[in-house]
Amino acid sequence: MLNVSKSTKIKWTVFGIIMILVALIGSGKMQQMIRKQEKVITIGVFSDSYWNVQNGYSYKIVDDAIEVFEKDHPDYRVEYVSGIMKEDYGEWLAEGLMQGTEPDLFFILGDEFNHLSQMNALKDLSSLIDRDDSFDSSKFYQSAYEYGENQGVQYALPFECAPKLMLVNESILKAEGVELPEEEWTWKDFLEICQKVTKDLDGNGIPDQFGVVGYSWEDAFYTNGIQIFDEDGAKCNLQGSEVLESLSYLEELNALNEKQTVTERDFNLGRVVFMPMLFSEYRAYKSYPLSVKKYSGFEWGCTTMPAGESGQNLSVLDTLMIGMSSRTAHEKEAWDLMKILTTDQNIQSEIFVYSEGISAQKDVTESDKADRYLRKNGNETAPMNKDVLSKVMEEAIVIPRFDDYDEAVRKVSDAVDTILNGDSNIEMEMIIQNRNINRYLQEK
Amino acid sequence: MRKKRLPDVVLYIMKHLNLMILLYISTLLVYCLNGYIHEKSAQQFLNTAKIIPLEPWKAIIVPVGLYVCLLLLMSIRAERNVELYLKTIVEVVICGFLFTSLNYSYSGFVLLVLANAIRRVSDSKSRIVVITVTFLSYILFDYNVLSILNIRIMPAETVLAYYQGTAMSLILAILDMLKIANIFLFIGYMFVLIMDQISQTRLVLELNDELAEKNTQLIDMNAELEEATKTKERNRLAREIHDTLGHTLTGIITGVDACAMIIDIAPDVAKQQLNAIADIARGGIKDVRRSVNALRPDVLEKKDLFEALQEMVESTRKSTGVEMNFACCAALDCFNQDEEDVIYRIVQEGTTNAIRHGKATRVDIKIERNFDTLWIEIRDNGIGCTDVKKGFGIHHMEERLKMLNGALEYDGSNGFWIKAELPIRWGE
Repeated sequence: MLNVSKSTKIKWTVFGIIMILVALIGSGKMQQMIRKQEKVITIGVFSDSYWNVQNGYSYKIVDDAIEVFEKDHPDYRVEYVSGIMKEDYGEWLAEGLMQGTEPDLFFILGDEFNHLSQMNALKDLSSLIDRDDSFDSSKFYQSAYEYGENQGVQYALPFECAPKLMLVNESILKAEGVELPEEEWTWKDFLEICQKVTKDLDGNGIPDQFGVVGYSWEDAFYTNGIQIFDEDGAKCNLQGSEVLESLSYLEELNALNEKQTVTERDFNLGRVVFMPMLFSEYRAYKSYPLSVKKYSGFEWGCTTMPAGESGQNLSVLDTLMIGMSSRTAHEKEAWDLMKILTTDQNIQSEIFVYSEGISAQKDVTESDKADRYLRKNGNETAPMNKDVLSKVMEEAIVIPRFDDYDEAVRKVSDAVDTILNGDSNIEMEMIIQNRNINRYLQEK
Repeated sequence: MRKKRLPDVVLYIMKHLNLMILLYISTLLVYCLNGYIHEKSAQQFLNTAKIIPLEPWKAIIVPVGLYVCLLLLMSIRAERNVELYLKTIVEVVICGFLFTSLNYSYSGFVLLVLANAIRRVSDSKSRIVVITVTFLSYILFDYNVLSILNIRIMPAETVLAYYQGTAMSLILAILDMLKIANIFLFIGYMFVLIMDQISQTRLVLELNDELAEKNTQLIDMNAELEEATKTKERNRLAREIHDTLGHTLTGIITGVDACAMIIDIAPDVAKQQLNAIADIARGGIKDVRRSVNALRPDVLEKKDLFEALQEMVESTRKSTGVEMNFACCAALDCFNQDEEDVIYRIVQEGTTNAIRHGKATRVDIKIERNFDTLWIEIRDNGIGCTDVKKGFGIHHMEERLKMLNGALEYDGSNGFWIKAELPIRWGE
């Protein structure tokens, strides 16, 4: 190596320089270094509500959070692109990811979280959480917090969420002389009430008042302690006594309607007692001028989902999350802004004012202020019960999500339909369907 | 500049083909990625791809940059085996990056690395190491092999799915053709390399044979030459002895004979004569010494030809009492040493012959030039010779003249006469 010729030295130098450049460009470090110079944090938001309700306050909470952030970080600016509709948001974010122009922070729709975390678009927040003493994950509702977790790694924090509740037409219950069910009610109670209220009112031989609409196999499975898929989506669990119980129960419920198709419209018209609904929909119906009229004909309230023989009064949670880009150049600052959005008490309280979900922060949701607000703005006849909400949130479950989760769910859904509508033996059919779905999960 | 050999040419073509393949794939990738973005199907693409691809502009810059690095590295010559191994490993790693940056669709760069490295390897041990490393990586750099390892990777086909149906088939078919072309080039390269080495070995063997043959010839010729030199030298020595000692002794004998006759009549003259004879004898000794040393006339060492001739004539006259007429009508200062020697010897020999064999009392020596020929004429009034025997004298004179392309004429009917013709070499 001592007598290396001059041209060889030059070649090594050029080689080194190009290699470093390619490494910097290829790994994205170059762009990070450039972006680090500009003290701008970008955030991805959509203009309409996550809960499909037009309320005109879409950017209000974000704007307030930015104000708080910029007060703490005077040399930083926060920017967002306004006017992106929720239905275009996924595409907009995907284009950003492909072009390397995605925002530092972005809202994540519940069903996109899996894809984003799997393609490494999201930053692993574990180290940031560990380093930050002011951050306390136990202040979140456990299930909402776990919503931002994939394969044991925390990728996102919940911004607002909505659990599934059971909407009750109290007018019918009163007319039929049935008590409003307790929070700890069971399938048995649920079925009894349904049996009692399903009636042929106009005497044409066909029932025109029903027990429930929109009660799906998922509701039955979750409240009976069944986990349909395992954590990584490699196995389906459409077998065992719990599943058999659930399917039999669904068959019993369906049988009450005597082959009549019950729709949401029937509920709106006051002919159905129960309808499972997301909390956000519930709130939207109350504050939305049109919906007030829609339900004006009867009194209504809400309660937990009925517990199955082997399960609890669980409900599924839908959550809007915030994640950080894995390529962000402003990790620390983005984390600060993320914390303001998800944990700042004042900002989170605004969810009750400007949005339809509920805060994932226990303190905020269970505060008197939130309670007062819900009571004041709620339907006079069906005030939101703070205890119900708290119980539902505490017991909400997170379904393990994996690649092609939607497709897998559709397969199970088809299978359940086949089993329920078929004439053959349920147990036998369960085995066949379970095998089919497992084959699909293995192959994907 | 070293002449480009066939393996170099094939390697050169291979480098260009690989660049072409690289540009073909990366351009297509860029086009597809941009297509997804512009057609608002980025989300759908990402959901199937399950991985964020390189940004479109990077998808072309990164592979090209890596390829430039690879070529640079390939052009650097490794001196030691350790360097060669390290260099090959780094090259293979770059090939891996290239393979990744082209979405696992092409790994033929490894063959290029192998083709380049195999030329620089001399011993079979490192050849085995290089071939093993490159071939293992060639096997590993395959989408299907990598997918066994359960790494989340996205094949180029996922991106190229932007094109559908025939277009997609055509694109993949072209890529396959290019890949095959590269493999064929590699095989061709190895073939050419082996042929090249075989022909080189054959050439070396042939040259070796030729050299051995030439060597034998040289030895033979050397022996011949030695023999010839010996003969030549023997002849020359004989000539020298005849010329110098013969001349001197003749002078001495003649002088002493004369002395014997006149010693009683004129002792003083005899004394003088004896002195002259002594001088001749001394000159003779000198001549012998000179012959032994450089074998060339001593007088010519110190004096020019004309003076030397004059001195010889003078000393002969003194020692023998013969009447000597020396007439020189040509400039004698432009001859080469060998010519001077010949002229001197001819005059010396002619004079000696005239006195010894012709018993002459008068010798006329005439040197003149006729155009490009020098004429030396020696005539005496001696008894002459009707039947001229080619004794040493005449024979040597002829030999000497022949060496210089000259000629000799002689006639012994009226006294003795010789005429030497010597072509003049110097240019007018």
